[in-house]
Amino acid sequence: MFGPVNKSSLNRGTLANITTLRQNWGLMIALFTAALAFPFLPGVEGWMASQAALIVVYIIAAQGVSILTGYTGLVTVGHGGFLAIGAYTSALLTKYFAVDLIIGIISGAIMAGVFGFLLGLVFLRLSGAFMAIGTLGFAFFVGTIVNNIPIFEGREGISLPTNRVLGMEIGDTGFLVISVIALGLTTLLIYRLVHSGVGRAFMALRDAERAAESSGVNRVKYRTLSFTISAAVTGVAGGLNAHIVNYVSAEVFADIWYSVDFLVATVVGGSAMLMGPFIGGFFIVMVPFFLEELADFSFILKGVVLIGVLILAPAGIAGVIARPFQALRAKRICPKSTGQPK
Amino acid sequence: MFGQLFISGVATGALYALTAVAVVVVFRNTRTINLAQGDFAMVGAFAALVFIKDFGLNYYVALFGAVLTCVLLGIAFERIVMRPIADSDWLTLFTATLGMYYVLHGVAGWFWGRDTKAFPVTFDPTPIEVIGGLVSQGHVINMAWAGGIGLMLFWFFRYTKQGIAMRAVTDDPDTAMLMGIPVRFIVLLTWGMAGFLAAFAGVLLAPIVYVAPEMMDEVLIKGYVAAVFGGLYSIPGAILGALMIGITENMAGGYLGSHFKTATAFVMIVVLLAFRPQGLFGIQKRREF
Amino acid sequence: MTEILRCENVLVSFGGVVACNNITLGITEGKIIGLIGPNGAGKTTLFNVLTRFQDADTGSLYFRGADIGRLKPHDMASMGMTRTFQNINLFAEQSTLDNILIGAHHLIGNPFANMFGLPRARKNERKLIERARQIAEMLRLEDQLNNEVKNLPYGVQKRVEMARALASNPEIILLDEPVAGCNEEETADLKEIIQHVNRELGITVFLVEHDMSMVMSICDYIYVINFGANLAEGTPAEIQSNSDVIKAYLGEEDET
Repeated sequence: MFGPVNKSSLNRGTLANITTLRQNWGLMIALFTAALAFPFLPGVEGWMASQAALIVVYIIAAQGVSILTGYTGLVTVGHGGFLAIGAYTSALLTKYFAVDLIIGIISGAIMAGVFGFLLGLVFLRLSGAFMAIGTLGFAFFVGTIVNNIPIFEGREGISLPTNRVLGMEIGDTGFLVISVIALGLTTLLIYRLVHSGVGRAFMALRDAERAAESSGVNRVKYRTLSFTISAAVTGVAGGLNAHIVNYVSAEVFADIWYSVDFLVATVVGGSAMLMGPFIGGFFIVMVPFFLEELADFSFILKGVVLIGVLILAPAGIAGVIARPFQALRAKRICPKSTGQPK
Repeated sequence: MFGQLFISGVATGALYALTAVAVVVVFRNTRTINLAQGDFAMVGAFAALVFIKDFGLNYYVALFGAVLTCVLLGIAFERIVMRPIADSDWLTLFTATLGMYYVLHGVAGWFWGRDTKAFPVTFDPTPIEVIGGLVSQGHVINMAWAGGIGLMLFWFFRYTKQGIAMRAVTDDPDTAMLMGIPVRFIVLLTWGMAGFLAAFAGVLLAPIVYVAPEMMDEVLIKGYVAAVFGGLYSIPGAILGALMIGITENMAGGYLGSHFKTATAFVMIVVLLAFRPQGLFGIQKRREF
Repeated sequence: MTEILRCENVLVSFGGVVACNNITLGITEGKIIGLIGPNGAGKTTLFNVLTRFQDADTGSLYFRGADIGRLKPHDMASMGMTRTFQNINLFAEQSTLDNILIGAHHLIGNPFANMFGLPRARKNERKLIERARQIAEMLRLEDQLNNEVKNLPYGVQKRVEMARALASNPEIILLDEPVAGCNEEETADLKEIIQHVNRELGITVFLVEHDMSMVMSICDYIYVINFGANLAEGTPAEIQSNSDVIKAYLGEEDET
């Protein structure tokens, strides 16, 4: 009814342009190159690579949270649970079946995704405060399970053999490379998600649920899908986390700190922005690192920064950084409409 | 055995109720789930500890001091953090209380260390007989305190000007403001009340568990579960929910083994939220939250 | 003339309060049909029933003769029915273009193909974007495509909502108070758009509105309900001279 599409009229920038541009590809590529080159720089020791891998883990986990909380608008304080599911799946497979690191991580992601799907169904009617409480309960629930069921070996923990990829043993450097590749893939996934009809449906449910439904968005389907993808991405982080130090224990994974940290990383960085989890993940890992002697002070600092961001920059740090870029791009890309007369 | 488990379940539940009621009161007047509620209580416990140990004060004076500390803490939190962002969306309000959770954890760890401390005042360990079961005196005292506070709340909401105003704000903040109720002051009062309840939760629980920065984490979750029983809206619902959790987990612990004790509340929350998110008792008023 | 949408004996009550009491009406294809009635007459409830946000206690709904009483709100768009809301209900944080594209959600095909950007999905996406631009142009929104809708003036937001409804490729649009809160200029503007949509694109329009002069000048046929029940129906001229209708509206001068 609106006439055939005139192909020559297509603006090349269109596809990238369908939601407000909030990321900078140049920056992203530079970041990944730097991360991949980092372990090979002179003077970089193994522990530094491990520390960098830990940042990557937090970034991926926060990406998972951002899908659900940032883009779909469902606040989760339970992603530590999905992290634990990913980590234990990979750890148990490695311990009992000596699987490859890659297989372990993928299995962890799938298992977390399955649980995410189920939790999405169980909490279908929840939103806001109720969703936050429910997900928090889920994280505690997972914690209780790993603490008490023998196969998870509770606080004793499970020690894992050296990481193997394609039959080769890899050290800290190799592990960081694998982590960065995983991060690249999850970032691509989120980029595609946000710039597709699926991401649009998520955001539509977030902003105006009824209007989204009357536009044909199946609430049950897309909510559950968001839960599944979100949990699976955090599951990837879990699989990686288990193998950084080759050890999983309820001491660490039963704690709700992970859940809380991931949400904070997402909010501080900017929950609905591609760069948000990067900034937030870096922040959450590096604050205690720099303040190692003052662990309690790092708690205070995290809290104060979080509250400061909420009061001063509700869109997160990435939002503040992106603002001048956005203004610039808006001018450059769309000076005038490119629509065709009917 | 049943009677004993039941009574001590009620005693534990009564302490959960203090947290649950605070969660409900804050939620229905400010739309915020207060994640720092447990840490308010933890600060109260530490304050009492300091008053007794370092200042050599009497238990009751220390309790009063803890209440004062927590009320001031709640009020300060509202003024400094929550008021500037009062018009923000739900996630912002919630994460602000999360920020407070970090800050209080850090402050407690910084001042008093991460290791657990015994509370200097303990109860006489000889159990006494209550309706056919042997119950520790501590439990009886806690029940008495919690019951007293419950009556006080009832009186407050039913007969005092502020209490009635607070209920009006709960029902409809906009209309309340048009009717000349000082909504901001009522919100401040709400946070003060959260601090008040937290102080009792912390100080009464301290002899039973221990004093440490994370002492309230699990209690807080159980408080949430109890609050959900009342649809996050009804105070009697939250109290009943808290008692039910206390009793159920005590029964589960007594008959099935202590592993099941902690799991009970979490199973309850998942089941409850899956099937009756509007709460077991009454109808929740504002569905969008 | 075929009926595109029909409801029969729809009854809805909320805890004893009857919002719709055996309402029966039919929407003829290709027309602009109005639904009027005093405040609280049950108009919005009926809209919610027709677009499946609300289940009727009894009664039946038909779309082109097929029973739609058990469908969900999201099924409506692919069937060819869409709606706007009483107060603007847009995706405030997103751009105009995104808002329009969500209207075309049921046309995105396989969500996974779309997400991973498979060639056919990309082609489809380009087509959708192009169509969104054409709709935007038709509603004079072409300069607003990249702006977040929360920053747009009220009248423009109304047009964005209309554009989103059009993007779903509907056969019938239900408009819940399309000109509420608009000034004279904006009202004239939307009136023109509604007529354009109806005449040029052949889309049936069913609207609830309190602005009587607008309803009378634009509608081909009008249903009047009062206290949840059918009161009258007919052409604007018939309605204006109907004594029951005049009685129902008496004392509600401020409404009209």
